[in-house]
Amino acid sequence: MSNQSGILVVAEPKDGKLANVTLESITQARALAGGPVSVVVAAAETAPYVAAAGRYGADRVYVVESPEAAVFRPGPFIDVVAAAVAAAEPALILCAGSPDGRDIAAGCAARLGAGLLVDITGLEAKDDGFVTTHPCFGGTVIVDKDATSTPVVATVRPNVFAREEAPKEPEVVNLSVDFAPAGLLAKVLDVVCENLGIVSLEEASVIVAGGRGVGKAENFKLIEELASELGAAVGASRAIVDEGWVPHQIQVGQTGKTVSPQLYIACGISGAIQHAAGMRTAKNIVAINRDPEAAIFNFADYGVVGDLLTIVPALTEEIRKRKAAS
Amino acid sequence: MNIAVCVKQVIDTEAEKKLDPASWRLDRNVTCILNPYDEYAVEEALRIKEAHGGEVTAVCMGPKKAEDAVRKALAMGADKGVIVTDDALAGSDAQATAYVLAEALKGVEWDLVIFGVRSTDGETGCVPAAVAERLGVPLLSTLAKVEVQGSNISVHRETEQGYVAYECPTPAVISVIKGINEPRYPSMKGIMGAKKKPIDAKDASALSLDTSQVGQSGSKTRVLSARTPEPRKAGEKIEDDGTGAQKIVEFLASQKLV
Ligand SMILES: Cc1cc2nc3c(=O)[nH]c(=O)nc-3n(C[C@H](O)[C@H](O)[C@H](O)COP(=O)(O)OP(=O)(O)OC[C@H]3O[C@@H](n4cnc5c(N)ncnc54)[C@H](O)[C@@H]3O)c2cc1C
Ligand SMILES: Nc1ncnc2c1ncn2[C@@H]1O[C@H](COP(=O)(O)O)[C@@H](O)[C@H]1O
Repeated sequence: MSNQSGILVVAEPKDGKLANVTLESITQARALAGGPVSVVVAAAETAPYVAAAGRYGADRVYVVESPEAAVFRPGPFIDVVAAAVAAAEPALILCAGSPDGRDIAAGCAARLGAGLLVDITGLEAKDDGFVTTHPCFGGTVIVDKDATSTPVVATVRPNVFAREEAPKEPEVVNLSVDFAPAGLLAKVLDVVCENLGIVSLEEASVIVAGGRGVGKAENFKLIEELASELGAAVGASRAIVDEGWVPHQIQVGQTGKTVSPQLYIACGISGAIQHAAGMRTAKNIVAINRDPEAAIFNFADYGVVGDLLTIVPALTEEIRKRKAAS
Repeated sequence: MNIAVCVKQVIDTEAEKKLDPASWRLDRNVTCILNPYDEYAVEEALRIKEAHGGEVTAVCMGPKKAEDAVRKALAMGADKGVIVTDDALAGSDAQATAYVLAEALKGVEWDLVIFGVRSTDGETGCVPAAVAERLGVPLLSTLAKVEVQGSNISVHRETEQGYVAYECPTPAVISVIKGINEPRYPSMKGIMGAKKKPIDAKDASALSLDTSQVGQSGSKTRVLSARTPEPRKAGEKIEDDGTGAQKIVEFLASQKLV
């Protein structure tokens, strides 16, 4: 066996907080590290992230504070993680299952010549490494994998592992990194926030999604109002993205986002296989659809046959009343 | 600007996915299509070519029949194709695939390599970044807009909140998302013309591949077992009689979801 041990979690900074999937990864790492749990974070200012990593029980935090790391770019972030791997010598490197996390994980694995395990929903230790679980083909097949060498790099699907605080004063190690010139060639011109306050779809524990059944673009606000009452993210089927009623960022499915929330409320969505591919692994699915034969009812945990144009606003009202009463 | 587009042939979503229990490889003897995301990549390449000139080469690793995916890219308007086929490559994981594509790309003239953001069967979304790293050029992924200005590209990378605008010199590697464009359908003329366009078929030795790095044995990850999850069962279904909303709240409460 190699002398690599412990787990390195690559933090995903998000407006002063750590992404939930990072906290979930630290929590899971603590349960089975067999060695120290380290976190590496790169940002323009790292203090809040270091504090959050400590709150969730990281033993050590590697810090790179640099203006080059203010906005994500694959090159410099891969440089940072490679430096942390050299310092920590972990057996496993966990990255966020997000666009940034995938770029980092894939680039790092290529640089280290390491195995790459993508989109894990299960992680167990065994004598000489780890076994990971992956949903494949839109969740229709579940595969267990392992790596034949260490270290190994993995990306973690958000919302699958629990997140528990376990406060600790972590050791903080400042890393100095020489950024490779190629990665710095990409220059950030502008950061544009059009949807401020939007709940991240991939990280959301509740999603309210609308399909063609909403009837017309204006009615989508019914979906948004229910989502806002539930503190949920909004999703959509491709049908209404293609209609131009909603932006494509919120499309769920085979050619959109893959989500695993605790609760998915599908309103006026038929439940086509390409839509199901992106949401079948939700813990609970509630469906509202006028057509009793709609495919979505074949896999929804709770289904209501009826008109969403009356049920959704009534549901928003019920939730509001319930919140007011408590 | 010369462009290489990486195109993968994938199993149609509607087709049944079967893993051979002896090798854990996917049974590909079913309907296969050009990866839907790669259609956006091909379209983007064609638009850049139409505006700025240059040649578009479709690059694919896959079995013999994956040539159909390359032909589709040619029918859409790509100029030529490269397909890497070898028994030794079967079962390659994302990293092994990236190694092969990077080696294949070294034999193609390009300023820009365009990928789809992910394949609908491999679903890793990791091949573009791994290829960029191997080629030593900058990567910008999940792009919703690409503009070419001289030898630079100016792009929008989608985020949850909006986008980040970047500028980058070529050579570079990018991946594009749905929504960046509306892929064209191949015309009859395009389909006929594609039959005459050149496809360069290469095997592992033609690319001088290190076969210890490819295929199932050269991959650093392996499948231990595969299973079909318990199919989700239909739960309770009620007819709305005006109390539908209340009943949903009761269900949510029973599951401790509100
Ligand atoms: C290659 C490919 C990729 C695809 N990728 C995706 C993807 O990523 N995501 C995706 O979603 N789709 C995807 N699709 C499309 C998918 O096949 C379906 O066409 C799409 O999901 C249908 O959207 P929908 O359910 O909103 O619309 P419809 O199928 O039209 O269903 C609308 C539903 O609303 C119900 N309804 C109507 N009015 C009301 C009302 N007032 N109250 C309650 N219910 C009502 C109807 O009974 C119906 O069931 C893809 C297709 C292809 C070929
Ligand atoms: N075998 C392959 N041949 C050519 N391109 C590929 C292959 N596998 C993946 N790609 C490219 O990499 C992208 C991401 O694929 P993946 O990492 O498998 O999700 C795809 O959209 C293709 O552009």
